[in-house]
Amino acid sequence: MLDATPRKLVEVRDLKMHFPIYAGILRKRVGEVKAVDGVSFDIFAGETLGLVGESGCGKSTCGRAILRLYDITDGSVKIDGAEIGDTPQGGLRKMRPTMQMVFQDPQASLNPRMTVEAIIGEPLMEHTDLSRDKRRDRVHELMDAVGLNRTFSNRYPHEFSGGQRQRIGIARALALNPKFIVCDEPIAALDVSIQAQVVNLLEDLQEKFDLTYLFISHDLSMVRHIADRVAVMYLGKVVELSPREALYAEPLHPYTKALLSAVPEPDPDMTTEDRVILQGDVPSPSNPPQGCNFCTRCPAVMDICHREDPEFREVQPGRFVACHHYNQTAGDTAASEDNKSIQQGETT
Amino acid sequence: MKLKTALLGAATAVALSGVTAQAERGADGHLNIIYWQAASILNPFLSGGTKDTEASSMVIEPLARYDEQGNMLPWLVDEIPTVANGGISEDLTTITWKLTPGIKWSDGSDFTAADVVFTGEYCMHPEGGCQQESKFAGVKNVEALDDLTVKITFDGPKPFPYAPFVGVESPIIQAAQFANCLGADAPNCTEANFGPHGTGPFRVTEFKANDVISYEANPHYRDPAKPAFATATFKGGGDAAAAARSVLETGEFDYAWNLQIDPTILTQMAGAGKGTVVSSFGTSVERLMVNLSNPDAALGDKRSTLEGGPHPFLTDPIVRTALSKAIDRALVSEVGYGAAGKPTCNVLPAPAIYASTANDACLGQDIAGANAMLEGAGWVKGADGIRAKDGVRLSILYQTSTNAVRQDTQALLKQWWSEIGVETELKNVDAGVFFGGDQSSPDTYQKLFADIEMYTNNFAGTDPEAYMGNWVCDEIPMPSNNWLGSNMPRYCDPAYDALAAKMGQTSALEERAELAKAMNDMLMQAGAMIPLVHRGDVSAHSNTLNGVKMNSWDSELWNVADWTRAD
Amino acid sequence: MLNYTIRRLMFTIPVLLFISFIIFLLLDLAPNDPTGNLPMTIPPEVREKIRESLGLGQPIHVRYFKWCVQFFVNEPLNIIDQMFGTCTWGCEDRLRVQSWATRSPVVDLIVERMPQTLWVVGMSYVVGILIAIPIGVISAYRQYSWFDQAGTFVSMVGFSVPTFFTGVLMIVIFSVMIPTDSWFWFPSIYDTTHKVTDLASFGFQIRQMAMPVFVLALYNAAQISRFMRASMLDNLNQDYVRTARAKGMRERVVLLVHVLRNSLIPVVTVIALGVPQVFGGAIITEQVFKVNGLGQLLIIGIQGADIPLVQTLTFIFAVLIVLFNLIADILYGILDPRIRYD
Ligand SMILES: Nc1ncnc2c1ncn2[C@@H]1O[C@H](COP(=O)(O)OP(=O)(O)O)[C@@H](O)[C@H]1O
Ligand SMILES: [Mg+2]
Repeated sequence: MLDATPRKLVEVRDLKMHFPIYAGILRKRVGEVKAVDGVSFDIFAGETLGLVGESGCGKSTCGRAILRLYDITDGSVKIDGAEIGDTPQGGLRKMRPTMQMVFQDPQASLNPRMTVEAIIGEPLMEHTDLSRDKRRDRVHELMDAVGLNRTFSNRYPHEFSGGQRQRIGIARALALNPKFIVCDEPIAALDVSIQAQVVNLLEDLQEKFDLTYLFISHDLSMVRHIADRVAVMYLGKVVELSPREALYAEPLHPYTKALLSAVPEPDPDMTTEDRVILQGDVPSPSNPPQGCNFCTRCPAVMDICHREDPEFREVQPGRFVACHHYNQTAGDTAASEDNKSIQQGETT
Repeated sequence: MKLKTALLGAATAVALSGVTAQAERGADGHLNIIYWQAASILNPFLSGGTKDTEASSMVIEPLARYDEQGNMLPWLVDEIPTVANGGISEDLTTITWKLTPGIKWSDGSDFTAADVVFTGEYCMHPEGGCQQESKFAGVKNVEALDDLTVKITFDGPKPFPYAPFVGVESPIIQAAQFANCLGADAPNCTEANFGPHGTGPFRVTEFKANDVISYEANPHYRDPAKPAFATATFKGGGDAAAAARSVLETGEFDYAWNLQIDPTILTQMAGAGKGTVVSSFGTSVERLMVNLSNPDAALGDKRSTLEGGPHPFLTDPIVRTALSKAIDRALVSEVGYGAAGKPTCNVLPAPAIYASTANDACLGQDIAGANAMLEGAGWVKGADGIRAKDGVRLSILYQTSTNAVRQDTQALLKQWWSEIGVETELKNVDAGVFFGGDQSSPDTYQKLFADIEMYTNNFAGTDPEAYMGNWVCDEIPMPSNNWLGSNMPRYCDPAYDALAAKMGQTSALEERAELAKAMNDMLMQAGAMIPLVHRGDVSAHSNTLNGVKMNSWDSELWNVADWTRAD
Repeated sequence: MLNYTIRRLMFTIPVLLFISFIIFLLLDLAPNDPTGNLPMTIPPEVREKIRESLGLGQPIHVRYFKWCVQFFVNEPLNIIDQMFGTCTWGCEDRLRVQSWATRSPVVDLIVERMPQTLWVVGMSYVVGILIAIPIGVISAYRQYSWFDQAGTFVSMVGFSVPTFFTGVLMIVIFSVMIPTDSWFWFPSIYDTTHKVTDLASFGFQIRQMAMPVFVLALYNAAQISRFMRASMLDNLNQDYVRTARAKGMRERVVLLVHVLRNSLIPVVTVIALGVPQVFGGAIITEQVFKVNGLGQLLIIGIQGADIPLVQTLTFIFAVLIVLFNLIADILYGILDPRIRYD
């Protein structure tokens, strides 16, 4: 990504998605779930940005908020140059063809009462004025593209296997020639044997149709395989964003380190003693800690972490991190020293 | 309904401009009657229910019927046969009716003695299940002497031979129409049962069972100026309160029958000014039946039978009298029945000539007196406040049917009796079971597996002979007669039986009245029954309806031919 | 599906026969007496004879067998004869199921009652559904809005306040308090003899149906709108709805095509299962407004211990319940492609 100047297809700035919490007989608003709480990043045209994090950290919410499947609380989202952060839902409809989503659960995300043809063809009906026959042709084309037998076009979703259903979901997303697709854990619900097929399909399609992906996953090894850059989320915030190689080789944020050390991949450089096991539970997104969100579990926590929320900033070219360790000195040495102490101090 | 009434009214008004409404058949338009119990059938021989007999009374008529005073009126005959006018034979075994000439059925054919004879045959058929069969008890033969003369022969002297063909329950049906409906075939004649031809002021145009009957004026009715109404509806369904409302408050109906509802509500409804509540008193008496036999469950099969022995304490006349004295009948009547009740001390309170005055002392409540009586007789209060003598405690099981008013009455009596040291346990049984006569149920009013029970009984017509005959020894219900019998108290006194037998041989009305009063007084003084309330019938009619003469001795619709619309 | 239906129907026959026997047994064991409501002036011997003439003297298996022959053989034959004007064997003295109280064929009584029951109870069901579905949809779509809160309140009222109360209340307001000549006056007593022949009589029919239909529709709508709301809520949170939105479908399409159609599946089943109740009549409402439909017929039969009537009606209800259960299952299969019965 360092060659030329890549075009930014998606620009997210300070995105916030808070869900209100109501309680009591009168349903008074008593608080909010800060599912996404100030997230900023760019996605360049043609790349795949991986978004990883523990379950519940707000990945799906983030993906949906970017596509404006929610009315966001705050922030700006620019897709292909157009600001959609505050566009009303009605106005958004026309822009939907550019941006699409593949959902985690292929079964639940397909209307059980519609045939494959209707599912894939419905957006064509809404957004194009193709004739009936042309529409059918296009559906068949798409089915070919995702590797579905076109004779099955009159079947209902429940008649397919999980992998096939996800292919239907992908074909559906592709129908309107989108530029940007959010893949929200598209393989998490599938058998391991089928996961690779679907990932490969996504990669092939990316090449063929020149797609840009936001690939959401909790599976670090899968992200390593597919993503060009990786963003790590913790409790509604992106804590680190780096090119893939750099991230996996030298994670900067203590949380990223902990995550990577937990990957069951055989890594010759890391013995079991090097594992960082995080203590305690993830705080509730409705009541995040003061200061750094990670301060309650961070092995290298400092005083300041409890007071101030670290800024998310570029500490190396192309590498962003939100951690006070990189804020104080801005020097690489200090950071790496700290790293040592972390690992020694908290090994179990 | 309103619209229809208005339209019909308008139409008739145009047609009859200048003519006085009363003088013309059909001049008053439409009449709306509501009986909240819907009529099931128009053949009173197949259903003895009041709703059915009264609905049919607009169509079919008896030879003679009773007016609102209880006097017998010749109806399809010119005069009532008596011994004096030769209509009844000297030996009291035959009665001969002479039909009024010229009466026609609603289909235009002549009404003849053959129809009367056929009606007798119809009801007396052994397989017909005729519900009015008791009207024909003792009838040996009914024959037509000529087209207009019917002679009824009894199998013995019949001092009061006015049961067959007299009153609402014994009307004449047309021979031609019912010819194929005799005996076992009776239920199969649906068409005839739903639309009998009659001699009455109306005829049926549409019958919807358990719902509604539509009538029109009978074009062949004997009085060409009647009925004043051209058409009539007899609607059923709902409950008494709704029926009352439809006459008294909404004004949709002209006449509502049997409004036994909370008296205060009825008064309040009448306040709307659209209608009038009317009542009349027949022979219904709400009474306590005192079990003179022993209902102890330990007796097994002999429970509540003569063989089971006498009741441990209710056989003591002092106790029975005390129980009666403790009751404030006026209050019971007021609370439960309002306009539909008055306190009574007689089980035979009407017609007036039969009503005794010998027992009227009971009208006043006398708790102190009752206590003194019991004390004097050796019934002394124990530690629990309950009187006892020789180890026998005055503890009563008091049963009746399930019914709000009856349960109120039970509660009142229990209170009063507790004040005289009598313990009362209350029990109520679903009316269907209580009166149902199911042999297998222990809770029927005939078995009387209790010390005291309460219900209302009455007799149809005006002659009390059969009614007073209920308390002869032979009428005691017991296992050997399948508990069929009406002598609930198990009262058995040869002197009473003798009076009953004597009445069976006496024809002169005054003598019969003396006998009936004597029997009533015997029963009252023995305390076998404790009468509480003389119950009347309550109905309501619209203020725009004239001519209603509320009648407890016959159908309430007995004079519907004379009803007119007030202007 | 056809095979399934036939298989189910075949299985139904022994079930229904069994049900009919149980009903017969229960009615026989119940302590009731057809002469119980007669005036006391009718003496016990006569009552005994009446019972005898009704066939009560015979043992129970004989009576049950007779009823079976009358109901399963004679009545269908009679229907055939009436339809084609024929006279299959023995049409003259064929014994039909006879009501004891009216001494007329029970089936004729039922047929006579059908119009008012269907007009009033059936119409209230239709009206109830028509009200309930939009209310359920909007309540779910705008969950916790004032509309939803109001809907919840109204259905709670419709659900918990008995129809004899709402019915009488309506009568007091619209028949008693409003003057008779006002346009807002409504009849409190249903005229079953009324025939619709022209516009004016149709208008009267509407007026006399208005109050009972409203009272019952309120009750039905309360129930169905709750179902509809719950079902909509279930579906609104489904991923496929998000998919539809992501496709850029109009909100109306998302709601009406995607969510509503899926939500209707269980609701349609509930509606189908409720149809036998329509035939069962609304006993209380029919009584309050004197509609005298099937519900009132049944209650009169029970009160008067008219066993053949009660037996036949109850059995017909049983048949309808079994039938509409089957229909609900089949509808489910038709509406939901995920369900297959073969
Ligand atoms: N519609 C919603 N209303 C309230 N809270 C929500 C809603 N959707 C998600 N959340 C909360 O937001 C947080 C993030 O959820 P999600 O984005 O689904 O996490 P992930 O996809 O990373 O597992 C969770 O705590 C979840 O409970
Ligand atoms: Mg997720």
